[in-house]
Amino acid sequence: MSRSDVTFPLWNLRRGEAAVIDGFDPVLPEPYRNRLMELGFHPGEVVTCLQAPAMGAPRVYRVSNSTFSLDDDIARYLQLRLVTDE
Amino acid sequence: MNKPENFTCSALLIGSPNCGKTLLFNRLTGLQQRVANFPGVTVEIARGDLVRHSGVELYDYPGTYSLEAISGEEQVAIEQFTRALEDPRLGIVMCVIDVTRLEKSLYFAQQVIREGRRAGRPVVVLANLIDVLHAHKLTIDLDALGRELGAPVLGISARTGEGLDTLHEFITATLREPPPAAEAHDAPDILLRGTAHQLARKYGPRGDVLLRTQNRIDAFFLHSAFGGAAFFLIMYLLFQSIFTWAAPAMDAVEAGLGWISDLVVPVLGPRLVQDFTADAVFSGLGAFLVFVPQIFVLTFVIGLLEDSGYMARAALICHRPLRFFGLTGKSFIPMLSGVACAIPGIYAARSIESPRRRFLTYLAIPLMPCSARLPVYTLLIAAFIPQTTFLGGLVGVQGLAMFLVYFFGMFVGLLVTAFVSRSSRIQESDLPFVLEMPAYRRPALLPLLRKCWRRCGLFITKAGPIILAVTLVIWVLGYFPNGGEDLGASWLGQLGRVIEPVFAPLDLDWRYGVAILTSFLAREVFVGTLGVMFGIEAADENMVPLVDQIQASGLGLASGVALLVFFAVALMCVSTLAVLSRESGSTGLATRMFFAYVGMAYLMSIAAFQIVSLLGG
Repeated sequence: MSRSDVTFPLWNLRRGEAAVIDGFDPVLPEPYRNRLMELGFHPGEVVTCLQAPAMGAPRVYRVSNSTFSLDDDIARYLQLRLVTDE
Repeated sequence: MNKPENFTCSALLIGSPNCGKTLLFNRLTGLQQRVANFPGVTVEIARGDLVRHSGVELYDYPGTYSLEAISGEEQVAIEQFTRALEDPRLGIVMCVIDVTRLEKSLYFAQQVIREGRRAGRPVVVLANLIDVLHAHKLTIDLDALGRELGAPVLGISARTGEGLDTLHEFITATLREPPPAAEAHDAPDILLRGTAHQLARKYGPRGDVLLRTQNRIDAFFLHSAFGGAAFFLIMYLLFQSIFTWAAPAMDAVEAGLGWISDLVVPVLGPRLVQDFTADAVFSGLGAFLVFVPQIFVLTFVIGLLEDSGYMARAALICHRPLRFFGLTGKSFIPMLSGVACAIPGIYAARSIESPRRRFLTYLAIPLMPCSARLPVYTLLIAAFIPQTTFLGGLVGVQGLAMFLVYFFGMFVGLLVTAFVSRSSRIQESDLPFVLEMPAYRRPALLPLLRKCWRRCGLFITKAGPIILAVTLVIWVLGYFPNGGEDLGASWLGQLGRVIEPVFAPLDLDWRYGVAILTSFLAREVFVGTLGVMFGIEAADENMVPLVDQIQASGLGLASGVALLVFFAVALMCVSTLAVLSRESGSTGLATRMFFAYVGMAYLMSIAAFQIVSLLGG
């Protein structure tokens, strides 16, 4: 497995796709960054987009053994990197 | 440390959200829950007696993901927790974790253990939902996890009762003979966060076996087409429950009070006492007791949605459209409830964690077209709007007017929240939308019924006296000085004449002023009062003679439209204000909203009057 060099925000992850958390946008205030890590959104962890409901509704992501819904007001600050099988 | 037999110990239950803490609390206390509200916030700390340890009080603290607050309410909850640790009566701290979702629970559990050690309190970690692991033939080494955490870990199931005997034995042993205080440590949060991550990987269930069922159900409920249809069907049922299912019970409350009144009043002596008892006391009691069935039904249905796990999905589906107006997906159900009655709607807003969004939802709810407005709209539309139809009778102007005035209130409500949410002062206190998707579970009915009962009790004891007091004041103003012979000559009538110039721009005379004043009790009172002013008996039951009288009085269409606009916007409901004041913990907010909405309604009705007049109405 190798990691892509390109990072992109969690909000751009499409339904059924998985990627590795690369880090957080520095703009995201520290308390929110900490809260996301408390929930399991750690750098290096795999996150999967389980559901992308209609009308731009917040998407449902799986991380570890939990599922969370994040709106773009926070999902855009989580940076991901695709993992490819080689 | 006191022994449990001395009835002076306390125990503390804490855990992250959705870990099954409340269900465990109900199991341990036999549902005998008492709730303490803290002023200014909606932080509830439930209190009950442990059924198998007489004299031990159990405190249930609000669920939070960490001791590092990101909102004002979390801060209050955390402060209460740290204060409780200093209480010399505290015998044991029980930290509940969700064993199927270790990552989110373990960081908080480590913080609780650290703080417990600092305060010299024994902490036990309760690994809840152990039955779910067993059902999937999964195991977890709780002893090893306990050694790494530095606190004993007991596997339990609040749902099935598995492991609770062991827990009771553990509590007894700890309270009788507290273990030697463990060495305190000052591990920083960042270290605990990393440890939680490692421990979750080491001990947590692997694979997605636990999420498969949830994902399958979500694939339907969050489907772009089916999910929306299911959402509207469920919301329709919710709406029906408030309107239709509660109606027989509401009728029964009214009939019961009427029956008691008929029984009691005739045996009372002087007419003044009879009038006071019938029109002030029983009317006042009816003014708030009639809402109890609605509150019960709504709390029950919302509880079903919350406990089953659907509420989180519903909030997600309607989040985006409401976000534009500064609201959240969780605002939808309170606002929908507000279409039936603002009071259950305000109670339903408790589920909104973000103080800012809850505040904005409070602003929107009173502008939803509640059922109390319906008789007012019916009267005014019948009196002022022509019965013209077009498209071969398919579309009637009166029906169209009813539709427009209903949606006018909703529209104004959304405009208000959009405007206020964009004010810089409150933008700073917002929280991003992160919502845990709980597993779908079968609701536990008995605790839910208890919750409904408790909510109704709170309404009766807290909001009821305020509503009753205002009813009594209005009655006194309407009864004296002429013994209720002529409302027009009463103090209320005199007040109506004093404020007549206020309604002059709407071309309304003092009779309408008095009817508007009395509608502060409840909007539908407007119809009955106007009937009295026009000398018509029971106008609220048969509006036709009143409609004829109003039409004969020569009042124009512009005044009718102005009144419709006024009632669509004005916050003319003492019950709503009382509950709003109670729930928001701010009498100031309720007062400001009353004056703001009445003022806005007045200005908008003048504008409507002028526009309709210019158009020749």
